[in-house]
Amino acid sequence: MTKMLSFDNVELYYDHVYALKGVSIDLNEGETVALIGANGAGKSSILRAITGLRKIASGSITYLGERLDGRPAAEIVRRGIAMVPEGRRVFPLMSVKDNLLMGAFTRTDRADIARTLESVLARFPRLRERYHQQASTLSGGEQQMMVIGRALMAKPKLLLLDEPSLGIAPKLVQDIARAIVAISRDEKVSVLLVEQNSRMALSISNRAYALSTGQIVLEGMSKELLTDDRVKAAYLGGDI
Amino acid sequence: MEQIIANGLYLGAQYALIALGLTLIFSLMNVLNFAHGQMYVFGGFITYSVVSQLGMPFIVGLIASAVTLAAMGALIERFLFRTVIRRSAREESTMLLAAGIAFFLDAVILLLFGEKQRGVPKIVNGVFNWDFRLIMPYDRILIGVLAVAMIVCFILFMQYSKAGRAMRALAQDRTAAQLMGVDVDRYSMIGFALGAMLAGLVGALLVTITGINLGMGGPTSVKAFMMIMIGGAGVISGAIAGGFILGMMESVGLSVLSSFGDITYLVIFASLMVFLAIRPQGLMGKPWG
Repeated sequence: MTKMLSFDNVELYYDHVYALKGVSIDLNEGETVALIGANGAGKSSILRAITGLRKIASGSITYLGERLDGRPAAEIVRRGIAMVPEGRRVFPLMSVKDNLLMGAFTRTDRADIARTLESVLARFPRLRERYHQQASTLSGGEQQMMVIGRALMAKPKLLLLDEPSLGIAPKLVQDIARAIVAISRDEKVSVLLVEQNSRMALSISNRAYALSTGQIVLEGMSKELLTDDRVKAAYLGGDI
Repeated sequence: MEQIIANGLYLGAQYALIALGLTLIFSLMNVLNFAHGQMYVFGGFITYSVVSQLGMPFIVGLIASAVTLAAMGALIERFLFRTVIRRSAREESTMLLAAGIAFFLDAVILLLFGEKQRGVPKIVNGVFNWDFRLIMPYDRILIGVLAVAMIVCFILFMQYSKAGRAMRALAQDRTAAQLMGVDVDRYSMIGFALGAMLAGLVGALLVTITGINLGMGGPTSVKAFMMIMIGGAGVISGAIAGGFILGMMESVGLSVLSSFGDITYLVIFASLMVFLAIRPQGLMGKPWG
C-alpha cells in the first residue's frame, strides 16, 4: 500500500495552549481512517493543520511524498485535498448549484466539472430537487449532503470530514455513514474522518486513532477497537 | 410628479453604483472605506483631465477613470489594508487607515487638480420634453441609462462569473471559501479594485452633469454610508435599494420641501435615525452580531 498522508511528531498550539503534542499518524491510499476522542482532544486541529488553516509549530506533514505544511490553503486544495468542515459552513445566500460549483473552484476543465456535477447529483438526488434553492433553506441533513457533494466537486484524492454527524437528525446519521462508505468505494478516495460518534466512525473505517488532550492514546484496526474494553469504556459508553 | 420620479431614478442609479462599491469592499474585507467619496471625486477629475484638457472623447475619459481607480484600489489594498489587517486584529485600525486615506486623497486631488469646480462639455445636446410634464436633458438620460447598465453588468458579473462567485463565497464564509481554494489575498485585492473602480465610474458619469470639485468627497462618503445603512451593509440588493431610496428621497425633498428652505437632508437624517432605531440592520441586512 502506498502511503498517502503522514504526520511526523506534529505540534500545534493556539495562543500558547497545546492542541497537538507530538502527533504521528499515517493514512494509506484507499483507506478510511477515523480519529475519535472527546471534544477538544485535538481531532479537528489535525484537519486544520492539513488544510493549512492552522500553521503547525513543529514536526512535518507529508502528502504523496511531498511536504504539505507551510503551503497556502488554496494550493493544498489544488493538490487534491478537500474538506467538509465542522458545522457544514454552507454559503447560505447561494443556491445549491453555486455552492457545488464553488467546490470545483480550483478546476478549469468545464466538461470534466459538468461530469462531476452530474455524478454528485446522481449520488444525492435531493440536491437535484433543491438545485436552485438557497442553501440556507435546506434542512441540516440536506446541507450536510450538499457540503459533502461540494467537497467531491474538487475531485479529491483525500477527503477530510469533520464531524459530519454533528447536529444531524439521528435517522439521517446512517444515511451519511452509508454515503461515506459508498464514496470511498466508488471514487477511490481516501478518507480521514473526525467523529464524536465513535461507534459510527469505527464501524465505517479501516483503522482508527484515539486522541486525548492532543496526543494519540490508542490506535488499531477499527473492527478490533469496536470490541476493545478500553475503547468501550472511554468512547462507546454514551452513544448508540 | 413624473419629473420628481424621473429625477429620483436618475439620482438613485448613480447613488446605487456608489453604494455597490462601498458594500462590496465592506462585505469582503470588513473594511469601511471612508475614502470612497474621495475616490469618486478622483475619478471625476481624471475624466475632466482626459476630456476637457486632452480633448479626448468621453468614453476614453470613462475608461481612463475606471482603470486609474481600479489600479489605485488594488494598490491601496495590497500595500495599506493588507499590511494593517495582518498586524492588527482591531477594526478601528482599518477605520483609521481608511480615514487617513480620505485625507491623503483630498490633499492629492488639491495638488493635482486644484480647488476649482471642473466640468466637461455636454456629451449630447438637446432636451427631452414630454408635454412639459417631464423635462429631462438628453445627457442626463444617457448618464442614467449608463449607470443602470453598469449596475446590471455588475450584478451579472457577481452572479455568473467565477470571480464573482468566489467573492460572494468569501463574503458569506471566509473559512469555507478558503477551503474551496479561494485565495483570500487575491480576491480581496480584486474586490477592492472593483469597488474603487465603481466609485471612479460614477465620478466619470457625474462630472458630465454636475461637474466635480474637491469638497464633494466627504459628503459623498457620508451619503454612501447612509445608503448601505438603509439597505443593509454587505448586501448587494440592499445597496441598490438604499441608493434608489436615497435618490428618491432627495428628489422628493428638493421639490416638496423647497419652500421651507434647505432642509431636505435634515429631514432625511431625522427619518434615517428613526428607521435605524426600529430596524438597525437595514432593509435587507441580517441582524448585527
